[in-house]
Amino acid sequence: MNFHLSLDYRVPTGCLEPFFEGLRNGVALAERCEACGRVQFPPGGVCGTCGGASLGWVTLAGTGTVILRTDTPDRTFALVRFDGAANAALVEIANPAVQTGPGMLMPPPEGPPRLFFALTDPAETPHA
Amino acid sequence: MTVLLAGGAMTPFNRRKDGSSLRDWCRTAFARALSDAALEPQDIDTVVFASESDFFTLQLNPAAVITDALALTGVRTLRVEGGGASGHLAVQTGAALVLSGLARRVAVIGAEASAAHLDAGKVGKLYSLSFDAWTDGLTGVGATSIYALSVLDFMGRTGATTDDLAGIAARNRQNARHNPNAHLPLDITAADVAASPVVSSPYRRLDCSPLSDGAACVILARPEDLPRSGVGRVRIAGMGAASDRVRLGDRPAPGQFPAKTKAALQAYQAAGIGPEKIELAEVYDSYSGAQLQGLQALGLAEDVVASERAGRFTGEGGLPVNLSGGLLGQGAPVGATGVAQILVAAQQIEATFPGLRPASPPRRALVDTHGGIATTCAVMILESLA
Repeated sequence: MNFHLSLDYRVPTGCLEPFFEGLRNGVALAERCEACGRVQFPPGGVCGTCGGASLGWVTLAGTGTVILRTDTPDRTFALVRFDGAANAALVEIANPAVQTGPGMLMPPPEGPPRLFFALTDPAETPHA
Repeated sequence: MTVLLAGGAMTPFNRRKDGSSLRDWCRTAFARALSDAALEPQDIDTVVFASESDFFTLQLNPAAVITDALALTGVRTLRVEGGGASGHLAVQTGAALVLSGLARRVAVIGAEASAAHLDAGKVGKLYSLSFDAWTDGLTGVGATSIYALSVLDFMGRTGATTDDLAGIAARNRQNARHNPNAHLPLDITAADVAASPVVSSPYRRLDCSPLSDGAACVILARPEDLPRSGVGRVRIAGMGAASDRVRLGDRPAPGQFPAKTKAALQAYQAAGIGPEKIELAEVYDSYSGAQLQGLQALGLAEDVVASERAGRFTGEGGLPVNLSGGLLGQGAPVGATGVAQILVAAQQIEATFPGLRPASPPRRALVDTHGGIATTCAVMILESLA
């Protein structure tokens, strides 16, 4: 027998709403632990170093560097360490033709807010 | 107090095309496990059911439904879920219930319809929710890409190569050729693995475990609650479980599995042994590289890459690993996976495993299972009563 199920979720983002609002606009909003000073992006609601739950928001430059990268037939994902963050973020790469190196968070072209990262194209970097 | 694995059985793992249902698979596994344990249905006072996703089974509250389908009434019934570790954690839960005195004879049943109910793309999309659905998940990343990023870190730290990974993928499929219940008994070589399509670099299609349907069941009890005082049975010597940060980016070393190490240490301590006493292992090889990462975390080799290249983990090696074929070969109907891993390890100790066996039966075997990417880890050590 066949059974069709179609689900449309509305998912509140709770305490991480400022993070998602930042992603919509390509802004890297990170958490800073008030107890130990750790800065984490993406945030998690709890400090990854001391477990502290008192966290404030800080805006990072949005720049970062690829640590690891994997390519599927149609998309590319990477672990990126954003400048100023102690942890790394799993992102989709916007321009996989550029192999690796530094880049910048950017607003996703469509769909829900997500970690979308454009690598710096050396061909477009002005030389000194 | 001793908890014995008093009997067990599994259905074949494969993609069902015969019209049989998840309830049919559970009935089959349960009936055969009872027969193996020389027990009757009324001897069972507790059912622990394991499945990962109600979106696969299309059945919420499955423990009650499966218990009813087994014609059991008035028994304690519950469901255990821990991602890929669901089945293994269900066995640990059943053993804990016996140890606590709350249960006398427990049937642990794991089942999943990972293949027949939905197309692979939709199953993959659901599996991607096994990770942090809010950050990693919203990027659209799938399980294979997350495992790929992890193994790339491992390869960078250890010098493991894609040839090493392909060798594991081929060997486990070759091992599975002896296993009548295996999903992918393939006569393939490392070259075939290397020639298969890229799914997420460095992983190729044959580096990945399949989506399977099937069920497995084991019966747990104290020796005094069994008809023949546990003759020919296997003892649970140690158990451990531990968690890790969910997101790879929150881990100091994304290619290492420290929660697995912690779970293994608990199991070794409970068993009163060190890893050098393990004579056979069933390791969670959801991907070829995860087998090496797991073996390293479990402390089963000082230099896991050198040991792999020296043939230590083959059927003839010093520590045979995944002679069943593992997830890569035997298959992976998630809720049943860990139950089946424990079952085949016990059968190896009893020398009753219907597939590839080492020259002499192991006295102790280790079973390693995890959910997420070694996020929810479970380790068990089984020991011969002889």
